[in-house]
Amino acid sequence: MAEKVLAPLAGNIWEILVKVGDKVQEDDELVIIEALKMENPVYSPCDGVIKEIKVSKGEQVQEDAVLMILE
Amino acid sequence: MRPYFEKMDNFGKELKQNKKNRAADSHERLCAVEADIEKKKSEILNAGFSTEEINKRGWMTINQRLEYLVEPGTWHPLHSLYNPLDNEEGTTNVIDGLGKIAGRWAVIIGFDNKVMAGAWLPGQSENILRVTDLAKRLNIPLVWLVNCSGAKLPDQEKFYANRRGAGAPFYRHAELEQAGIPILAGIYGTNPAGGGYQGISPTILIAHKDANIAVGGVGIVSGMAPRGGFTAELIEELVEKTRDFRATPPGRVETHYNKTGFFSRVYEEETGVLDGIREYMENMPAYGAMVFQVAEPAEPAFPAEDLYSILPHNQKEVYSFDELLARLVDGSEQMEFRPGYGPEVYTGLCKIDGVLIGCIGNRQGFLGKGYPEYADYPGIGGKLYRQGLIKMNEFVTHCGRDRIPVIWFQDTSGIDVGDLAEEAELLGLGQSLIYSIQQTDVPMMLVVLRKGSAAAHYVMGGPTANRHNAFTLGTAATEIAVMHGETAAVATYARRAMKEKDAGRPLDDVVNKMNQLAQKYRDTSQPDYCAHYGFVDEVVKLAELRSYLKAFAGAAYQNPRSICPRHQLLLPRIIKG
Repeated sequence: MAEKVLAPLAGNIWEILVKVGDKVQEDDELVIIEALKMENPVYSPCDGVIKEIKVSKGEQVQEDAVLMILE
Repeated sequence: MRPYFEKMDNFGKELKQNKKNRAADSHERLCAVEADIEKKKSEILNAGFSTEEINKRGWMTINQRLEYLVEPGTWHPLHSLYNPLDNEEGTTNVIDGLGKIAGRWAVIIGFDNKVMAGAWLPGQSENILRVTDLAKRLNIPLVWLVNCSGAKLPDQEKFYANRRGAGAPFYRHAELEQAGIPILAGIYGTNPAGGGYQGISPTILIAHKDANIAVGGVGIVSGMAPRGGFTAELIEELVEKTRDFRATPPGRVETHYNKTGFFSRVYEEETGVLDGIREYMENMPAYGAMVFQVAEPAEPAFPAEDLYSILPHNQKEVYSFDELLARLVDGSEQMEFRPGYGPEVYTGLCKIDGVLIGCIGNRQGFLGKGYPEYADYPGIGGKLYRQGLIKMNEFVTHCGRDRIPVIWFQDTSGIDVGDLAEEAELLGLGQSLIYSIQQTDVPMMLVVLRKGSAAAHYVMGGPTANRHNAFTLGTAATEIAVMHGETAAVATYARRAMKEKDAGRPLDDVVNKMNQLAQKYRDTSQPDYCAHYGFVDEVVKLAELRSYLKAFAGAAYQNPRSICPRHQLLLPRIIKG
């Protein structure tokens, strides 16, 4: 079942730590969003495989934007 | 209360390999800073004459005396890099720290007899006052290794006079004695004038056979009344007088043991003096550790090495404070106070070497939607908001009531600002926290893990909590300044930049000045600078942090001024609900 990874807050995509096809575990860091002068990690909500990455480095995202899809 | 403390809630998780990999650069940078700090400490420890040279004269160095006196593995140096007035000697000329003698914690300080025979130097009295304050706060004996040639006369204007000048420690010694805190002094060498008062002001005086203490030494006794200048004839006269007095300096053992009886004991050997101190320490007031232990001491469930992968050197990177704390406390167990309320700070009870300690620290990262509750903007860890300030106020107040020492961990950029923050009473709540701390009267220590900024550095048990903060530690990532350097540059030059722009002038000069100011902030907020000027009392390796926490906990519980029986503690019951 597909699981969306959402941006918890608005900011700039600072770093993407995974690529499509990577296996990840719950609580692994997936993306770093630069916001409020800090580099905020976004964690994997569950175990799975990265199916799709919807953002790219340097992109501005809004709160709740879909960052990637896990399967 | 055994069920409360024997097994508390586990916290922390094993560190994943990919996290360690990602933190490899940061780990390396932290180690590089630690290595640099160690190198500087070593240079200062080896300042002055070499050990061989001092030994050739028949004396032990201060380092050798400390090594003989202090139980192996218990020496926790403080103020190693402290040199606030930039003495060319690189030191304030005293070496101090916490250590155990005869199974008891003491604050230990000694003159560095390798450097100008232990002279008073600028900044030294401020160093000593930190040490006497520490003994008072922890209510443990102060042990002095006196070997002080008196003032470095050419620099006297920098330390002789003033409220916190070189005479202030003698009043502090009296203050300690009035508070029932004994001061043991081992006395070596020639101690004239200021050195004489260093020798006479402690409680118990134990002398080496060649020691002397006196109101004035050879330099003063042989000195002549001022005659408006010097001539060769006068100097010849002076040389003869000095020769006479050098053979028999005033205040020798035959006077102060045989006649005045100021010296309690005299020893033939230097080590005998230290044995004498040890014997007195065996008779100092101290509870056994078991009296206040609520559980068997236990090591954390995770290795201290993990700290290097958890605490980022980069000030912008987010980390888990809870994971860090889990590497420092017994069994990686805790009882969290008000979880979910004021999420930007952790408050909870932990054990260190089996005794209860209240721990408070800044959490990092995004705090979740809807927080802070009074604003429409997101909250970020490191900042303090209304709930966090209220929670810390409550927690320290309970710790005070239950007589539980507190360890603060700072990594804070400040208290939230703006109209909404003012309406949320943050200014008042910050000062309330200061009031709450002042009201507790329990020993506290602080670790500035990374950032110590703005008023949050004050209100979170900072060194400015003079009567409560026993000492403050820094790490390789510590950065202390009123604000970030670039923020300061903007605050200082934004209006000028606007004026220059409106006047059609180039902005190069403003740009340079802003960059210079930002660089100045970087240079003056780093760990070695913080230690040099006393913003922290010592910068320690992350791997050694727990050892300092244990020293603090052991010393704070050695002879507490007041006690709350464990079955009358309220805080654990409030946490349990």
